[in-house]
Amino acid sequence: MIKAAVVSNGLHGIHKYFVSNKNVEYTILEVTKNFDPDLKPYDLLVVPNGSDHIAMGRLKAKVADFLKEGNTLFCFDGWFTNWIPGNQWIMSNEKKTIDIRYKVKTDRHNLMEGVDINLLIYNHNISGWWACGYIEAAPEADVIIEDTWQRPIIVLDEKTTNGTMILTASGPLGDSGAIPTDDENSYAALGKLYQNMIRLILQKKENEKNRVTV
Amino acid sequence: MKKIGLLFNGVWSHYVFATAPKYKDVMKLVYIHDLSDDELEGLEGLMIPFQSNQDIITEKKEVIYSFLKKGKKVFVEGDTTSEWLDAEWVDRPTNNYWWVENPNNPPISDTDFSHPIYEGLSPRHSCWHTHGSYLSAPKGAKIIQTKPDGEIITWETHEYGGTLMATTLDPIVEIGVQQITHLDNYVEKLVKWMCGEEVTGNFEVPKENYGIAV
Repeated sequence: MIKAAVVSNGLHGIHKYFVSNKNVEYTILEVTKNFDPDLKPYDLLVVPNGSDHIAMGRLKAKVADFLKEGNTLFCFDGWFTNWIPGNQWIMSNEKKTIDIRYKVKTDRHNLMEGVDINLLIYNHNISGWWACGYIEAAPEADVIIEDTWQRPIIVLDEKTTNGTMILTASGPLGDSGAIPTDDENSYAALGKLYQNMIRLILQKKENEKNRVTV
Repeated sequence: MKKIGLLFNGVWSHYVFATAPKYKDVMKLVYIHDLSDDELEGLEGLMIPFQSNQDIITEKKEVIYSFLKKGKKVFVEGDTTSEWLDAEWVDRPTNNYWWVENPNNPPISDTDFSHPIYEGLSPRHSCWHTHGSYLSAPKGAKIIQTKPDGEIITWETHEYGGTLMATTLDPIVEIGVQQITHLDNYVEKLVKWMCGEEVTGNFEVPKENYGIAV
């Protein structure tokens, strides 16, 4: 069981998209004026689409400590402040969304297993609907998906810190959706991608447990 | 000189808009947790974008109504709650693809093009997609846009001293997202209506605005 904290900006839907289940126990942390949550009880910190990156910027040191302890960060938003170690999201309107295509680059943990990449590219035949901008990834991070211009769109970083970071270029994901689409296929594909990420974290927790007991 | 406050939730699309060279001289980011009479001092208008924290707005609604009482303008987009607005907003599916699949049947059927924001706009520039509808507007409000089924998309009232305008369109978030390329038409007119300033030129997204420290 993963204990996860989800940062909430008070937006419609967050509570609906992160519902506790057999794999993950979710706690919603509402952002307040002096937001300074205790992250020690959690294995996973989720920063969903529509988050407050001023508040997260003020938590930079705490997130670094959280990762140093071997924990996991999911960020599915555009972090314009520099609170994520080694990786930076960049907004850009230099490229046209009509030209956006994605391809899998490095996927050692099979995060894209069972996920039709075309459903990340197209929605109702419109391309470039899911993510925005790109990630300047840490040099040793895995770029799971890159776009037409080889810009990282999904990044897995197990090297920059002692923990694990899975980052999207503002592509929304959630345990039970969190996807701005009424296309059931796209909804299912992104749900599958999120579950593959959860599977990886569960595997890591299991490996860590076995390592300690040996 | 900054003349319009943008109520800022720490969300990246709000940040992209207000820091773009085209708009940054007139826009002031007002962090939602710092909203106060002092923060709005000297401004002519306040924009409350989609993806705002409705609970915090409700807590601080007296600041907004006090601003209106001074004869100022407030523009509200996207979802709202009757906890702070004398209107009933309801959620409805968002259709992002009507222009591909059914271009002769846009989600908005009637627009009052005599309103200063809409005057001179083409139907396409005054309608992209909506986030819900209003089932009611404040008593005496002028209805500016409606859906084919009669539900209200945009209304305006002078009931509170200044001018309060609400729409379920989302020009501020979407111009920040930059996936819809014609939104400068709407936003230029919105800025002019709110503060009298003419803004022109291309919407650029400077890379140096990303990765900032707080």
